[in-house]
Amino acid sequence: MADTLKYTCEQCIHICQPDLSFVPPELFRNADIIRRDLAELVSAASGEREKSVTILAGCAFESILYTFILAQANFISARRGTFQFNSGAALDNFVSIFNKWFIAVLPEAAIPEVVVRYRDLVHINREIAYPADICSRAAREMLALLNNLLRNLSQFTP
Amino acid sequence: MANLAQLNLRSKGDEGMLRALLEDLIEHFKSVYPSPPLHFPLALAVWFSKNPQSPEQSILALFEGTGKDGFVELKNLSLLWKTGRSEPPFANVYSTSVEYFARVLVQEPETLKNYIDNSEVLFFDKKFLPKPVLDAFGILTEPAGLLKGWYVSAFDYEKENTTGRLLSSRGNIRPEVGLVKTQESDDFEHCRGLLHVEVSQRWLPLSPGGITSYSYYSDFRNDQPGYFIFEGGSLYKILKFEVKTEPNYATLVLEAPRDGRYPEVYLRAVHPHLSA
Repeated sequence: MADTLKYTCEQCIHICQPDLSFVPPELFRNADIIRRDLAELVSAASGEREKSVTILAGCAFESILYTFILAQANFISARRGTFQFNSGAALDNFVSIFNKWFIAVLPEAAIPEVVVRYRDLVHINREIAYPADICSRAAREMLALLNNLLRNLSQFTP
Repeated sequence: MANLAQLNLRSKGDEGMLRALLEDLIEHFKSVYPSPPLHFPLALAVWFSKNPQSPEQSILALFEGTGKDGFVELKNLSLLWKTGRSEPPFANVYSTSVEYFARVLVQEPETLKNYIDNSEVLFFDKKFLPKPVLDAFGILTEPAGLLKGWYVSAFDYEKENTTGRLLSSRGNIRPEVGLVKTQESDDFEHCRGLLHVEVSQRWLPLSPGGITSYSYYSDFRNDQPGYFIFEGGSLYKILKFEVKTEPNYATLVLEAPRDGRYPEVYLRAVHPHLSA
């Protein structure tokens, strides 16, 4: 029981019951998309669909970081001097910006590079390089890492 | 308090603004040669001969794969380019290939002194930079003695039960876990150490909270055996984890956790070809 994806996901309370208070009201569409992605992620985990969970979790990471960085552009600008949000940036850029500007205030929220590598398992040439059980591991780790990010963001106060 | 009174915050603020403008320019450089056949990614950008009060700033840019020798100079690029203005501050950009810079660094290091003294690294991509270049600019991406490797689940261990198979099946993927040993037995059969993960190109120690996200910890908590294999072929079985406060470990890592608490892993060497 303890090693099923369903059980792992049920332990991730910030995915199952997300607190999106870090999303400002004007970005309500972003919040809707994040909620939908998280709901689909929970559904995929309940069905033990490891590859779907891995990819959907990567998608949720991108949606959440995109929205959070967009919402906190002034926070970054105040520390950096100037900051222009690039909506076309890729997940690794968002991870890099987040780790650079928010770890000082959210030290437990550091996002490891493995998140981008697991999200890239969407490409068969990436997955084939890994051992056969990679999606099983990646799905569980992505759930835990995403839960950790959401937990930290729910505590964020600029 | 005298030191505090002497702080020039205005000047620090001006430097921060200048740095942001330079980083914006560098962000643009990242997409100069974005795709084949002209795929020459930016590998390093350095602000050298730093003098924030000067109307002209100097940037060294190294690109991967151009194969060109010598430096190309771009003079008087206004850092206000995004607004269409051509006024100070200006940047003078000196660009070349990683290969050329690395070669000259070994053969005639004194000729590159100007690029290295009083410099600040604004961007780097370590996968394109050889160690002498990383060392020349003081770019630290991993602590001394770091072993890099991969987690091996019980499933994989049973299936690929030789060191060679375990290593070769991971030969095409980047290491996912790091270990800095804190103690090792005289016969090298037992050791313990601090587990690391890669965050923004730097290997940092896991915190007691951070380790719970990873399979090696959750498998262990579910009473499933787990192993690590490191580059070179040393293979260890996980015996236990202990969370402890150990201020002395701060000297072993690039960034110590604020509370000084580390999850330490205890390992035993295994020799699959002997036990099979």
